[in-house]
Amino acid sequence: MDEWKPNPAIKPHKKRSWYLAWKYKLMNQRALRKLWQTGAVLFLLVTVIVNIKLILDTRRAAYEEEEESAQDYDDEMLNVEVPRHPVSNKKVLDVEVYSSRSKVYVAVDGTTVLEDEAREQGRGIHVIVLNQATGHVMAKRVFDTYSPHEDEAMVLFLNMVARGRILIFTIKDEGSFHLKDTAKNVLKSLGSQVAPFLSWRDMWTFVGKKGGEVYGEKHAKSPALSTWGDPVLLKTEVHLTSMEDAECHWPDTELNRRRKRFCSKVEGYGSVCSCKDPTPIEFNPDPLKDNKVFDVPVAVIAGNRPNYLYRMLRSLLSAQGVNPQMITVFIDGYYEEPMDVVELFGLSGIQHTPISIKNARVSQHYKASLTATFNLFPDAKFAVVLEEDLDISVDFFSFLSQSIHLLEEDESLYCISAWNDQGYEHTAEDPSLLYRVETMPGLGWVLRKSLYKDELEPKWPTPEKLWDWDMWMRMPEQRKGRECIIPDISRSYHFGIVGLNMNGYFHEAYFKKHKFNTVPNVQLKNVESLRKDAYEMEIHRLLGEAEVLDHSKNPCEDSFVPDTEGRVYVTFIRMEQEADFTTWTQLAKCLHIWDLDVRGNHKGLWRLFRKKNHFLVVGVPASPYSSKKPSAVTPIYMEPPAKEEGAVAVPAVAAAEQT
Amino acid sequence: MQKINKNVVLALLSLTSLVFLLFQLYYYKFYLSQKNGPVFSKVRGSQSGQDSTRWHVVRKFLGLISSHNIPVYLIDPLILGLVDKDIEQIRSSPDGPNPECKYFCAPRDFTTFALLDKTWKHELGVFRTAEKMGFQWLKIINKDPRLDGMDDLSGIEIPLHYIFKLASHAIHLVVFYERSGNYLWHGPLRLKQHMDRKFVPFRKLHFGRYPGAYEKPELLLVSIDDIKVQIPKNPSSFLEEMSHSRFLECRYREARAFFQLYPDDASLDAVEFRKKAKSLLHLAALTLNNLGVKFWLSSGTCLGWYRQCNVIPHSKDVDLGVFIRDYKADIIPAFQKAGLPLKHKFGKVEDSLELSFQGEDDVKLDIFFFYEEDDHIWNGGTQAKSGKKFKYLFPKFTLCWTEFVELKVHVPCETLQYVEANYGPDWKVPVKTWDWKSSPSNVQYNGVWPVDEWDDVIQIY
Repeated sequence: MDEWKPNPAIKPHKKRSWYLAWKYKLMNQRALRKLWQTGAVLFLLVTVIVNIKLILDTRRAAYEEEEESAQDYDDEMLNVEVPRHPVSNKKVLDVEVYSSRSKVYVAVDGTTVLEDEAREQGRGIHVIVLNQATGHVMAKRVFDTYSPHEDEAMVLFLNMVARGRILIFTIKDEGSFHLKDTAKNVLKSLGSQVAPFLSWRDMWTFVGKKGGEVYGEKHAKSPALSTWGDPVLLKTEVHLTSMEDAECHWPDTELNRRRKRFCSKVEGYGSVCSCKDPTPIEFNPDPLKDNKVFDVPVAVIAGNRPNYLYRMLRSLLSAQGVNPQMITVFIDGYYEEPMDVVELFGLSGIQHTPISIKNARVSQHYKASLTATFNLFPDAKFAVVLEEDLDISVDFFSFLSQSIHLLEEDESLYCISAWNDQGYEHTAEDPSLLYRVETMPGLGWVLRKSLYKDELEPKWPTPEKLWDWDMWMRMPEQRKGRECIIPDISRSYHFGIVGLNMNGYFHEAYFKKHKFNTVPNVQLKNVESLRKDAYEMEIHRLLGEAEVLDHSKNPCEDSFVPDTEGRVYVTFIRMEQEADFTTWTQLAKCLHIWDLDVRGNHKGLWRLFRKKNHFLVVGVPASPYSSKKPSAVTPIYMEPPAKEEGAVAVPAVAAAEQT
Repeated sequence: MQKINKNVVLALLSLTSLVFLLFQLYYYKFYLSQKNGPVFSKVRGSQSGQDSTRWHVVRKFLGLISSHNIPVYLIDPLILGLVDKDIEQIRSSPDGPNPECKYFCAPRDFTTFALLDKTWKHELGVFRTAEKMGFQWLKIINKDPRLDGMDDLSGIEIPLHYIFKLASHAIHLVVFYERSGNYLWHGPLRLKQHMDRKFVPFRKLHFGRYPGAYEKPELLLVSIDDIKVQIPKNPSSFLEEMSHSRFLECRYREARAFFQLYPDDASLDAVEFRKKAKSLLHLAALTLNNLGVKFWLSSGTCLGWYRQCNVIPHSKDVDLGVFIRDYKADIIPAFQKAGLPLKHKFGKVEDSLELSFQGEDDVKLDIFFFYEEDDHIWNGGTQAKSGKKFKYLFPKFTLCWTEFVELKVHVPCETLQYVEANYGPDWKVPVKTWDWKSSPSNVQYNGVWPVDEWDDVIQIY
C-alpha cells in the first residue's frame, strides 16, 4: 500500500502531467474507466465503513478503560464529601448579645455561639473573639472577675488578641467585684464607655473591634446591693473586612502556611500570630551526641486545654535531642483547638472518642494512647509518656538517653520518671543525682513495651471501674516490688492549675515550688550504681559516711540540720512495719513536701536535701538499714494530729498530680 | 470536461480517504500499544523515542527523590524480572558501563518504587519540586490500619500510594509501613469519588489491588542503564514473595460487635491463657519459618482471629494447618529442640497425619496436615482408643497474610468458607463444649485403622 502515499517532494506541475498521461490513456478505454470508477466508489465505501468501525472501537475501548479503572479501585466507603457551607458573601454580621443574672448568650447571624444558663457556673465576664473577615469564633473565654486575679488573666488575654479582631463581652451574674482599674482601663481603651463605672451586679454587653470602632454597648445598673440589674439585650451589626486585611503577610514558607492556618482560626496565643515579629514555631534545639532515645516514641496525653498543650509542646520541641517525628499527641475527645495546636507545630495528632467518665475516662484514654503508640512504632522497646500540662526540661532527653539502658537491662525496674515527688526548691539540689524509689511518680516517664504488652494492657482497668490509671499502676499487684528511677531535680514541671483533680490552692501548695532543671547537658554521675545490687552498696556507703543528727531536737526546726554545705546527715524515725508511715507523714508535712501519701521511699529510706546537705531519713525498725542506727539513738516519733477533716481529704486528692 | 472532473474528484477522494484510513490505523495501533504496552510495541521495530522517555522519566524521578534525601527502592516486577536474569553480572560489576538501555527502556506504562514510611516526612516540598520538574502527581490516602483495631481512635489518614506522571510514563510509589510482627505492609489503592479515574490506567498497576505484606528486604545498590538505584538483594525471591503477598486485615469492626454481644473474658485465667497461647504461637511460627514450612491458622485459632481478632480464651490449644506437600521429617526434632516435646502423632504421611506438641502448662500445639484433592481439601483425625478415623472436608482455598497477636501469619483467604465448613453457619455464637469427633459440621467417618498399623499411626507420649 505504500506506493499510494503521496510524495511530498513532487511539485504540483509534475503531478499534473502525470495525471494528463493517465487521462488520455483512460479516455480510450471507456470500459476500463467505468470499472475503475466503480472500484473507486467501492473503495470509498469500504474506507467509510472501516473508519466508522475504528471510531466505534476506539470509543468503546476508551469507555471500557474508564469503567475498568473505576471498578476494584473504588473506595467502598464512598466517602461522600459533605458539601461545605457556601462561603457567604455577606459583608454584615448580625450580632445579638444578652446579659443577665442567670443567663448569657451570644448569637452571630442567628447562630448561637455562646449560651450559658447553668446554675452556679459561668459567673463573670464572658469574652468571644470573632475573625473580622469570616465572622468565625476564634476564642471563647470566661473570666470570673468576681474572684481575685481573674481580671489580670483577662487583661493578659485581651492583650494577646490581634488588632482588628471583633470582641464581644457579656456579664453573667456578677463581674465587677474584683475588676480592678487596670482591667477597666483596658476595656475603656477598647472603646467601652461604661466599663470604668461598672459596679456591683450591673449587667453589661459590649461589641467592638480591637483598636477600632465600637459596634454597640448596653448597660443596666443594679438598683440596690441585693438585686441585679435588668437583663440587657444588645442587637448590632458588624461590618466584615476583606480576608486580606485580616491576615498577616508573612513570607510564604511551609512554616508560615501552618502559622497562617492556625492564626486565622484561633486567638489567644499571643506572639505566635504577631504580624511583625512572630515567635518561631520551629526550634531546632541542638542534637544530642549518641542519643539513645532518638527512636523512642513520645506519646503526649492531652485533653481540651489547648493553651496548656501549646506551652507544653513548645518546651518539648525545644528540648535537646527531641525527634518531632516520634511525637504523637493523643487528644481525648473531638476537640478542634488542641488539634489546631498540634498541626501548628507540624506534629501528628490522634483523637480518641471519650469512653466512660471522670477518672475512668482518663484511664481509658491512657490505654488507647499507649496501645496506639506501640502499634504505630512496632519497633519501639519503650515509650515516653507525657501530659499536656508539663514543662519539659531542656535536658529531658539527655537524662533519658543516659539512663534508659538500665530499664532495658535491670528487670527490677518499673519505670524511669522525670519527676521527683519530693524534689522541691528547698529539698532538691543535685541535677546529676538519681534515686531508686518504690513509688511511680508519673509526670513524664518511660514505659517498657514488654511491661505494657505482657502485663498491663491485658488487665488494664475496664471502663466501668472508676480508677485512676496511675493509682492502679502503683498497686502491688502491678508493681510487683519493682522500682522507678528518678532524678533529684525533676526534668518536668507541672504547671496545670485546672484539671480533673486539680485546683489553684492545691497547685500552690504542692506543685508550684517544685524544682525544675534548666541546665542543659547535665552529665549524670551515678548511673551504674542505680542497678539493683550496686544501689544497695551505694546506700550502705552513704549511710557509713553519714553523720547522725541530734535526735533530741525537733526535726521540723530549721536548726535540726547544721548550717553546713555538702555534708551527709542521717536521721532515724519510728516505722514499726513496712506500712507504718505515721512519723514520716508528719515529718513530710512540717518539711513542706508531699505528704498526701507516701512517695519517694526505698526500703524505708528517704533521700532529700536540706540546706544543701544530703539528708537521709531511715524508718526504724522496718527498714533493713536500721542496723546503721547507733544503739544510743532513739528513733524520732511524731504524733499525728488529733482527728480532723484533713484525713477525709486525703483519698480525694491523692491522685491530684496526674491531671 | 465534466467526466474528467468526476474522475479527478473520485481519485482525490480515494486518495484522501486512503490517507485518512492509514492515519486511523496508525492512531489505533498507537492507542492499543499505549493500552497493552508490551504486546504491541514488540511488533514495532524502532521504539527509541518511547524507550528513552521511560528512562528519562525514571532518572528525573530519582533525581527528585534524592534531592530530598528520600530513600526509595525499585520493586517493579517487570524490571526486576529482567535484572534477575543478569543478577550475577550486575552484582559483580556495580559500576560497569552499560552498552544499551536494557532495563529502564523496557516497554511498560509504569515504574514502581517502594518507600519506607518512617524514612520521610515532609512531602510538601517534594510535591512542589515535582511540579516544577513537570510531574503531575496523585496521592492516595486512607485510614491507618495500625489504629483500626483500636476502639475509638481517629484523626489520621496515612498516604498509601503516590503516582507521579510525566509525559507518557508514570512512577508508582508504594508506601510501606512497618507493623507489629516485624513486617512491612502496603495498603490497597482505592480511589475516592472526586479523584481522576483516568489519571493513569490504574488496573495495570502491579501493587494496590489488595494490601500486601512483605518481609523487610535487604537492599543492594546497583547501577543499571547508568542509573544508580536500590533493589532488593535477591530479586527473584522478592518476585516470589510478591506473588503471594495478599494481606487480609482482621475484621475489627465485626470483632467489636461480637464483644458487644459476648463480653470478653477478662479473668486472670483468660489473660494467662492468652499470654501462653501467644508465646506458643510465636515459638511455633519461628520454628516452622526456620524450616521453611508454610503454615496457617486453623480450627479454633483461625476462628478466634476471624471472629474476635484474638485468641479464644476458652480454647485449650493452638491449631495450625500445613499442606502435606510441605511436610518435612525435621519438624518433630525441630520442635523438640525448641522445647516442645511431641505429645502424640496420629496417622502417617500418606494418610491423616496429625502432630501434637506439648507447650508450657497444658497449652497444646496441634499441627494438622491437609491433603489436596481435585475439588476439596481435607485433613484427618484419629481416635486413639478405638483407632477410628475421621475426615474433615474443606472447600479449596489459597493463603493470605494477616497479623495476629503481633505476628505475620497465613490464614485461608477464603476464611468465611473455611470457618463455615468447620463450624457451620452458627460460628458467630461461642460454644464452650466442643467435641472434635462430632461437633464440626464437616466431619466424616473415615473407617478404622488396621490393627497391625496401630503402633505406627497412633503414637502417644
